[in-house]
Amino acid sequence: MRVDLTDSLSRLLPEEAFGHSVPSSLWAALRTGVETVVAPGSAEEVATILKWASEMGVRVVPIGTGAHTYPRYPKDPFIVLTTSRLNEIQHYEPADLTITASAGALIRDLSTETAIHGQWLPFDPPDVPNRTLGGLVATGLSGPLWAGYGQLRNHVLGATIVCGDGRALRLGGKVVKNVAGFDILKVMVGSRGELAVITSVTVRLFPLPVVDQLLVLEAADVSELVSTARAVATAPIMPASIILSATSDGGRLLVRLHGARVSVEADQKRLEKHTGVSFEVRNTPEAESLLVQERGSGINTEFAVRVWALPSRIGVLLDVLKQVPGVSLNADVYGGSVRAYLPVNLSDIESSLAGLQKDIEELGGTIRALRIPAEVNASSYFAKPLVDEGELAAGLKRAFDPHAVLWGIE
Amino acid sequence: MYRLLEKGDEEPVASLLTGKVSSGMTRPLPSTVVSDLAEIVGHEHVITDPDRLLVYESDGLTAYRRPPRAVVLPSSTEEISAVVGLLHSNGIEVIPRGAGTGLSGGALATPEGVIVGTARMNRILKIDVENRIAIAQPGVINAHLTEATNSYGLYYAPDPSSQSACTLGGNVAENSGGPHCLKYGVTARYVTGLTVVLAGGRIVELGGVGRDPYTTLDLVGLFVGSEGCFGIATEIELRLLPITEGVRTLLGIFESVESAGRAVTKIIASGLMPAAVEIVDGPTIEAVEASVFAAGYPLEAGAALVIEFDGTDTGLDLDADRAEQCCLEEGAIEVQRATDPEHRVKLWTARKKAFGAMGRIAPDLLVQDATVPRTKLPEVLAGIDDIGNRYGLKIANVFHAGDGNLHPNILFDRQNQNELESVERASKEIMQLCVDAGGTITGEHGVGVDKRQYMTLVHGPAELEAMAAAKRVFDPASLFNPGKVLPAVEVKGATDTAKILAIGE
Repeated sequence: MRVDLTDSLSRLLPEEAFGHSVPSSLWAALRTGVETVVAPGSAEEVATILKWASEMGVRVVPIGTGAHTYPRYPKDPFIVLTTSRLNEIQHYEPADLTITASAGALIRDLSTETAIHGQWLPFDPPDVPNRTLGGLVATGLSGPLWAGYGQLRNHVLGATIVCGDGRALRLGGKVVKNVAGFDILKVMVGSRGELAVITSVTVRLFPLPVVDQLLVLEAADVSELVSTARAVATAPIMPASIILSATSDGGRLLVRLHGARVSVEADQKRLEKHTGVSFEVRNTPEAESLLVQERGSGINTEFAVRVWALPSRIGVLLDVLKQVPGVSLNADVYGGSVRAYLPVNLSDIESSLAGLQKDIEELGGTIRALRIPAEVNASSYFAKPLVDEGELAAGLKRAFDPHAVLWGIE
Repeated sequence: MYRLLEKGDEEPVASLLTGKVSSGMTRPLPSTVVSDLAEIVGHEHVITDPDRLLVYESDGLTAYRRPPRAVVLPSSTEEISAVVGLLHSNGIEVIPRGAGTGLSGGALATPEGVIVGTARMNRILKIDVENRIAIAQPGVINAHLTEATNSYGLYYAPDPSSQSACTLGGNVAENSGGPHCLKYGVTARYVTGLTVVLAGGRIVELGGVGRDPYTTLDLVGLFVGSEGCFGIATEIELRLLPITEGVRTLLGIFESVESAGRAVTKIIASGLMPAAVEIVDGPTIEAVEASVFAAGYPLEAGAALVIEFDGTDTGLDLDADRAEQCCLEEGAIEVQRATDPEHRVKLWTARKKAFGAMGRIAPDLLVQDATVPRTKLPEVLAGIDDIGNRYGLKIANVFHAGDGNLHPNILFDRQNQNELESVERASKEIMQLCVDAGGTITGEHGVGVDKRQYMTLVHGPAELEAMAAAKRVFDPASLFNPGKVLPAVEVKGATDTAKILAIGE
């Protein structure tokens, strides 16, 4: 970033917008050193920054905390825009089960507030308490709980955004059913800040389950666990989530049941009858720490990939992935995806990855890099959209970010 | 930057008062186009006979009528692609149509348009039990998918009231809801992938279970609810759910809608998650009791509240007990509980037969649709009552109370010109009331032609232009269902792009 550019931006914004730090993992993801970080204090300031960037030919990488940013390679001068100062809860109406908060509000803080009224946001991607609401929506991640609650995209009711060219838009609303016009809001969920900067979000809440029971099955033979996991996924009841984790030493199946005490107990009996196995039962808070451990495991590893396929293919994918020495796996059995945390000392990373990619694609899956060691050229491991989808996505990119200020689909 | 077109700038706006959107004759298609279409789909599947076209002159919102220039009924993705390619290359607009049960005029023909119907595309292509998905053609009737998957212990959750007639393609276009979407969500939650035919006949696949969703934008989510303005879905991949073990249905009778509404708030606040929470008001009960559907409700009742729980059988009585307690605490006159399927059907009667029964008490019925935050229901209902009184109109309310989704039904007589004017004015006031309460102009029926005029109540010019831009990405020349959803706008000072921005007007 040239000094005169930073100077010209500093004349447009108050002093409080500058001098903010971000986690060093962000610079690793962006493959660069410390660059200018700007923290706008309002949607208007977001618009000011984006208009300035359009004029100056500077690119903008929007982040929440920056701790979960996926790898990108900036080629042009860029600044980082953090929503950390946009962190207020704007409106919470417990009786409507809806909450509106600024994009930078931490999920942890929202959860504290909603728990007072016995409500929660049923989304559990890794490290969710430390994600921002805007960041969660921008990544579109639901976590394995989408088995029981549906995906995040279906529960985002409204948002305010600032498009790449500085236009502020109000999308959706505060009501749970809304078909007034084309659903642009859906495109923003999971758009990774490539179309617009999200400045506030209204999301639907759910009543906290009376009982949050975790069924656990451990085994040295992962294949055995896989068949039980698939039997759970096709059982006549719908668990809140089905997670399977595995290392070379064996694995663990976690099935989460939500509901009243009597129904959870009845569900467990039906599952055991259907699968022919007996589960160990864990209740909160023991269950919670186990889930945090499983879901958060590997969050700080430098090298991680995500694999997707039809849920029924989970077993064959795990068979391939567990061949990698030192790998740690975490599968969402209902959704059909696996996070694989790989050792950084893996010999010959590039050819190992290429081999893995070939095997997985032959099985009908796709592989995508989440984090990758600095010395590896990883660009070929970012899964590419289909050509036609890519053209439509590129059209939307031009419509919302005509000057390509925000990093994105290229 | 944008302004709404002034009155007189555009073709006559659809109106209850005129009854028809166009009084002019529909121009027949050139004979070469007709024969080329017949070449693709077979002569018997191209309808041009004016008498037969009358069937297609309106959808479920019969206030707006206009026969199309022709109707084409293809039977496959490839045929739809060829038909759309042919029509678009001749500059002819395409109006997609499913069963025509829509309530916002979304399938109304344009003066230059040809209807492409999906009636012959009624096959379920795949039921993948292990992954709990089905792939269906767009003409498959909603209820048929559940019937076809029941034997595998699965079902399709969205259940619009018209589910025995409406098609899955229409559900995708409208992002349809239904009574049980309180717990299970609307159509968008269940559509995982689509094959679509876009402008010029281009076939594109979007999404799909097992695809990494983070490699592109949620184009499936954007396409769902696009009301036939982006293209035609020709294969629809849908998520299925396991059939729940048990169901409990309660019917609470209340003196007033307000007390029924308070019971709903109490039930939701208590942490219960009912599958459905529906209210019908006094005038609706009166209509039902006067009809062949009479279910023996007390005529003095101000409201009937239907609450349904589903899930693991063991816990349901407990849930039902708590809900019953909430009703009694809010002054329910009586609470009945269904113990068998026949009884359950009976408790649902007033809700399910409400629209049919209203025919008894007035010749015409305008079914409105709006959503407000649930907590605003009592004040909005009082406001609707007030609007009805001021205009001397009878308004009967049926609504998905759990979602705050209202259906105020205005009863009137088309022959009475003064009353028609009142209906239009009252409708607009109801929309404004709902928007002022933090709500929106349609919760599940869509905008179509009917609600275009109200879009500016909820969206500003920048938002409307963003929607228009999204449409242009899919349909640059506006040849799919023009004149729907977006109000006519134009760019000040623009020349050649103005027509396109006017969304096909």
